[in-house]
Amino acid sequence: MNSTPLLQGINLHKTYHLGKTKVPVLHGATLDIQQGDWVTVLGSSGCGKSTLLHLLGGLDRPDQHGGEVLFQGESVWDKSNKEINVYRNKNIGFVFQFYHLLPELSVFENVLLPAMIGGRKTNTDGARERAILLLTRFGLDHRMLHRPRELSGGELQRVAIARALVNEPEVLLADEPTGNLDESTGDEILDVLQGLHQDGLTIVMVTHEQQIANRGTKMIHLRNGVV
Amino acid sequence: MYQTLLTNRYLLSRVIPLIAIAAVGLCVALVIVVVSVMTGFLDMVQSAGKTLMGDVIVTYGVSGIPHYEILVDKLEENPEVTAATPIVDGWGLLRMPYPDTRAKQSETVQVWGIDPVSFTKVTGFNDSLHWKSPSKQQLDWLLFDAVSANASALLETMSEEKQQLLIDTVEGAGSTMNYQFTDLWSAMQEQLSDEQWNLINAYDERLQHPEKLLGQGLALTRSGKAGIVAGLHVSDGNERQQDGSYSVVRNDYWWLPRYEGTLTMLPIASDGGLIEPESIIMPFTNEFQSGVFLIDSSRIFVPIETAQQLLHLDAAELVDVDDPTIIVGIDPARATSVLMRGAQGVTAEELQQIAVKIYDEFRESLRGTTNVLPPSRSDPSLSIHTWREQQKSFTGPVEKERELMRTLFSIIYLVVAALILSIFWAIVFEKTRDIGILRSLGASRAGIVWIFLRYGGIIGVLGSLLGLLLGWLVTKNINEIHSAMGSPPIAIAIVAFIISLASLWVAVVRGRRGEILPIVVGLLSVITFGGIGGLVLFVRQQGGIVIWDASVYYFSIIPNNVDWPSASATLIGAVLFCLLGAVIPAAKAADTDPVKALRHE
Repeated sequence: MNSTPLLQGINLHKTYHLGKTKVPVLHGATLDIQQGDWVTVLGSSGCGKSTLLHLLGGLDRPDQHGGEVLFQGESVWDKSNKEINVYRNKNIGFVFQFYHLLPELSVFENVLLPAMIGGRKTNTDGARERAILLLTRFGLDHRMLHRPRELSGGELQRVAIARALVNEPEVLLADEPTGNLDESTGDEILDVLQGLHQDGLTIVMVTHEQQIANRGTKMIHLRNGVV
Repeated sequence: MYQTLLTNRYLLSRVIPLIAIAAVGLCVALVIVVVSVMTGFLDMVQSAGKTLMGDVIVTYGVSGIPHYEILVDKLEENPEVTAATPIVDGWGLLRMPYPDTRAKQSETVQVWGIDPVSFTKVTGFNDSLHWKSPSKQQLDWLLFDAVSANASALLETMSEEKQQLLIDTVEGAGSTMNYQFTDLWSAMQEQLSDEQWNLINAYDERLQHPEKLLGQGLALTRSGKAGIVAGLHVSDGNERQQDGSYSVVRNDYWWLPRYEGTLTMLPIASDGGLIEPESIIMPFTNEFQSGVFLIDSSRIFVPIETAQQLLHLDAAELVDVDDPTIIVGIDPARATSVLMRGAQGVTAEELQQIAVKIYDEFRESLRGTTNVLPPSRSDPSLSIHTWREQQKSFTGPVEKERELMRTLFSIIYLVVAALILSIFWAIVFEKTRDIGILRSLGASRAGIVWIFLRYGGIIGVLGSLLGLLLGWLVTKNINEIHSAMGSPPIAIAIVAFIISLASLWVAVVRGRRGEILPIVVGLLSVITFGGIGGLVLFVRQQGGIVIWDASVYYFSIIPNNVDWPSASATLIGAVLFCLLGAVIPAAKAADTDPVKALRHE
């Protein structure tokens, strides 16, 4: 057994404020993610799955005294803003339900974007080669110069996965990656994730479908903001 | 690096930034054109002022500087002074030769009595003379005048038949030459004998030697009589044409060098009281054009001796107060001002210091030798000014006007900032989700700010450069544009109407498919181009429009040099205000909550 989990959420609380109304979403969610896990977080819509993912990925901050997120044993939210940016850029790869590609950039540029944001010299440090490798692996080598609007849903999600992986992150956080796709295309995406997991990548995927959640190696149920 | 990529893509993939660039460009061009014209105008006013009065001017009001010849000599002895010249400056009434009735028109004129030779050295007076030699038409009028004046002498020696022919020819010419060229010269050559021609030529030497016209103007004499050189706009007979040239009304009938004028001046006694006005009839020898309308419409030049006589500033005997028969001395002739021009490389300010020193020496040298000493420098009426100081009352308002224009037009910067602010506000709103994506990929807040600041900066730089190019093109060709507005080419109207009709056709065809935008754009195009075409036709029908009126702006040509220091300041200002307009939306973008941004639709 690994002694220290790769990523931990400890007693996470998160409340959203809609005007004067407080909407509590997480009430002490705790989870450990070990290196090499494919954790699926199952829960109904609005139960706080995406919020949990955002907290783990350093995209959103828990409430004050609302728990901790530890990455390799270190608190993410104790880091400086600059370090959190680096954490998101280097250690985490996000995949969203609606792909979230930049429409002005080509497929290749979208995939290369995290490397550019990380300040990598993409011409010399192998980022370009990795981007090409990923796109080729996902069967998109012929689509590299296309704009996102010219691609199908499945292709878009594969591009989004390639983008998430270009900086070789430790964890891939996937937020309903098949939620916007038909069943067969969704299966294709899950096959891609399975392949990545087999290569040793740690994945946290949230979904509201039991069948999809079954593809992971570890399943977590999120109900009423608690794991 | 990613900021560069995104900025470039945002710029090239949308119409809004292109509109923003065009708007910034138009604003910059507008400021450049207006400030350049105003600066050029001020420069022209200043340089014209300098040309007309030399570098430094010593003035002693109405009383005049006695022994001014000595001052002029002393000044010219100094190697730093190229030339010096005395003038007598006063106001007078000039009775013009027109109209044909007995009641003639009079003009209030500023009379400058000058010594033409030294005055030319200081001011370039010779270059300002308008008439170099008479035209054929003007020569015919001179011949007509000479024949009319010598009619009885000419007729005496002729047979009756020839007499009648001469009378018929001259009378016929006199009545028709107002409206058409009759070539009286050829007719006279056939009818007059050599002896008669000699008589005519003796009457007016310009007939045989037309080039003498310029010489007479330079010397301010005609047929041995002291003459007048009047500003081109003093006479109502000179009409400015649309191309900037001048023609004399009624087919050169009112060409001033044909005539004489009566100059009346009011001399002022040493105690400040008025003395009986003095009048003198003088021939016009030429006309001058300095380029400054204010001067060309009011100033005349006469020989300095004439002006001195009219203003009682000439030399006079000083008599004993108790017994006027005893002459106690001579009151020397006076000049109200002495103008001077400095040697190459000597500034007006340096020359002013030299003039002050020489003036003091001049006054000291006369102490004990005369009982009429020039005024001391402590006398408040005596001034030694540079041309700039002397012109201040004239150039000051123009300078203020330029600064006012610059300030008013600088409000355009705020327009630029507001424009960029609103465009960027819209862009940031539209790009909210992109901002969330970038943040989720690890982009820092500063990185997001930099994308939009860079975006604003590029719009500012490109807009400014476009504005500079446009401003430069318009400024350089402003006279051609003005001429075209005076007489817009019909081709513009034709092209505008063709575009208008084509737009109408497109609007109708596309409109049938039920689309609204083509109808709106098409109709706007029909109105715009139809309006342009109609305006061109209207302007042509009205005989053109003249915006730059020489009688208002002093010069007949619009200044067309770009004021580069102001243009550079405008460019920098436009870029800064674009950044200012972009910085608030950029900060807003950076502070956008990435989670909310990702949910933005």
